[in-house]
Amino acid sequence: MTGEKLSGAEIVVEELKNEGVEVAFGIPGGVLLDLYEVLYTEDAIRHILMRHEQCAAHAADGYARVSGRTGVCIATSGPGATNLVTGLANASMDSAPVVALTGQVPTAAIGSNAFQEASTFTITMPVTKYNFLVKRTEDLPKVVHNAFHIANTGRKGVVLIDLPKDVLATKVEVDLHQKETFAGYKPKIKPNKVQIKKAAEALVNAERPLIIAGGGVISTGATEELRHLVEFLGAPVVTTLMGKGAIPENHPFSMGMAGMHGRIYANRAINECDALLAIGTRFSDRLTGWQLDQFAPDATLIHVDIDAAEINKNIQVDIPIVGDAKLALGDIIKWLEKKKTADTSKSVWVQRIKEMHSACEECIKDVGRAGSSISDMFIKEISAILDSNAIVTTEVGQCQMFAAHYYITKKPRTFISSGGLGTMGFGFPAAIGAKVAAPDKKVVDIAGDGSFLMTCQDLATCVENDIPVVVCIFHNRYLGMVRQWQELFFDKRYSHTGLGSSPDFVKLAEAFGCYGERVEKPEELKDALHNAFESGKPAVIDMIVGNEDKILPMIPPGGGLTGMIGVERCKHI
Amino acid sequence: MQTHIISLLVEDHPGVLTRMSGMFTMRGINITSLTVSPCEKEGLSRMTVAIDGSESVLEQVRKQLSNLIEVVKVVDLAENKAIIRDLCLTKVHVKDSNARSTIMQLAETYGAEIVDATLDSVIIEVMDEPKRIDRFVDLMKQFGVKQLFRTGVTAIGRDTGLER
Repeated sequence: MTGEKLSGAEIVVEELKNEGVEVAFGIPGGVLLDLYEVLYTEDAIRHILMRHEQCAAHAADGYARVSGRTGVCIATSGPGATNLVTGLANASMDSAPVVALTGQVPTAAIGSNAFQEASTFTITMPVTKYNFLVKRTEDLPKVVHNAFHIANTGRKGVVLIDLPKDVLATKVEVDLHQKETFAGYKPKIKPNKVQIKKAAEALVNAERPLIIAGGGVISTGATEELRHLVEFLGAPVVTTLMGKGAIPENHPFSMGMAGMHGRIYANRAINECDALLAIGTRFSDRLTGWQLDQFAPDATLIHVDIDAAEINKNIQVDIPIVGDAKLALGDIIKWLEKKKTADTSKSVWVQRIKEMHSACEECIKDVGRAGSSISDMFIKEISAILDSNAIVTTEVGQCQMFAAHYYITKKPRTFISSGGLGTMGFGFPAAIGAKVAAPDKKVVDIAGDGSFLMTCQDLATCVENDIPVVVCIFHNRYLGMVRQWQELFFDKRYSHTGLGSSPDFVKLAEAFGCYGERVEKPEELKDALHNAFESGKPAVIDMIVGNEDKILPMIPPGGGLTGMIGVERCKHI
Repeated sequence: MQTHIISLLVEDHPGVLTRMSGMFTMRGINITSLTVSPCEKEGLSRMTVAIDGSESVLEQVRKQLSNLIEVVKVVDLAENKAIIRDLCLTKVHVKDSNARSTIMQLAETYGAEIVDATLDSVIIEVMDEPKRIDRFVDLMKQFGVKQLFRTGVTAIGRDTGLER
């Protein structure tokens, strides 16, 4: 395309299209007028006007997690960019591929404290995998290509491109679609063969092998390989929060989520195993607890991660493997099949796992009968009503942990939650991104009354853009998780966790033009959800739950895997 | 706790120093010395970073630095396999002629050079391994160090090949 003069804004849009971008979530502003001028007539990119930049970032994040493609968000300079920061930090922590475009004051004004100027480049450096401040229009083709390349390769993450107004406006002659990348950026994805052999041997020789699947299994599309390995080895598998969906949770070898709010049997399996393959997980404190001597004390630890810096960071391991989860699982399976050494000598362990598994299932079946909370029952209802393709997003806190514990996830990329940063207000805008990525699937945000109010203004976005997501609010009139901790560890001194009786969520929904319904009993939820989906509108279901419902069992802060509290309810221990 | 010297080859872009130092800030690790300069390859710069910390801190630092997009190469320079140098300029108080002659003798012993002198002070330049400079500076403190400037360490790995 040499010879043709294009403005910076035109170059950006051309390059976005070349990277396969079909959707962008954003809000325009003064310095972005040139970019939005081009988007105005651009049919190949659907722009969804959000009502807050934080939501634009979360929507791009949700879109990325559901589709596996890079999500794109756009914000103007200054407050637009600073509003993005929470969303970018969230996506970074959970390794979701997102590219953010921000406007910036003209290059000549940078540093002059101009109107709506913020140093986006320095502010976003710690919350991105990489960021650019573009000073020359000529650099744009290379910058945009590298942004997408970096965001969606290696350990996926966030890349931000800060675009000064004059860089967008200037017209230049330039070669589009340049492919030159950074000399120092060569993510290692091929696992080392010697390490693979060691890992495979350790697994096959173990009496009590166990697999922990993290988000990496989902983001690399390794769920079939995982299932194959699990069945070949006869090894049970537990997941992290990010790994929910890596294995169907109704699979006989699935033990559910482990960790602080995990299933007690999942934690027990970690404690009892003698070989542990942790794949695509970074051993966050929410998984390991804080007493690391209680974490797989007898096991040979095998850790597969795409990021070498995660190896030996939180947990010291015996067999580190740096590489892509899908390739590593594939290589381990190949090695095992070649040797054909898998046998049934693990039957005692398999038997024990089956017993633990069915005991846990029994407990969950009992929810509603045996002194559990109404919140548990609501999640159980949601789990029973939604089909396996439906996508659930969550806010953060009790609602999230109720969902993690009781919602049975059957497919990858159908459980979307803020794992690392723990961002209240994430679930709803993430649901918007999810619904845009998968318009044919039902999308439900499992929310709390505290979380939802943090980003609920984007109900307007849903209405205006015909994005019918359903928000199910666990309405307990408290910042529930903090209240739970105050109850358990601070002598019920509910300091500033009470939310009072405002608002009326049904009226709030209706004010935006959404469908709203209140339910007070779990058995009413089926009809309410039916009505919500039938309405074809974005919907809010206000579920009145117990003010003092607790999500139990849990590892108390400072505790370890064997020190779960609230286990009285686990009758089958 | 041990001093580690890490040599980085980085792309010479605006912000690369912030990115590098930001990584240390984020992980709560203190940089004890830092030098940045051009190197033999155009478009690349060399950074020499000294940190105090355990082997596991060093491992984490090395990996996190490698993760930075603009970092082309990370080398951990063990003391016995590298030439390590620091440059120190110091202004020392001279009380009397007795002090002056002792300072001059010590400077000579340490291979330091007196680069300026007044009636009541001298400026001394010393270029050496950081530990030898520390020792020299400790000696000068007996006389009164008015000002002290150090460039921070730079280091180069020795070749391992012993035969042609």
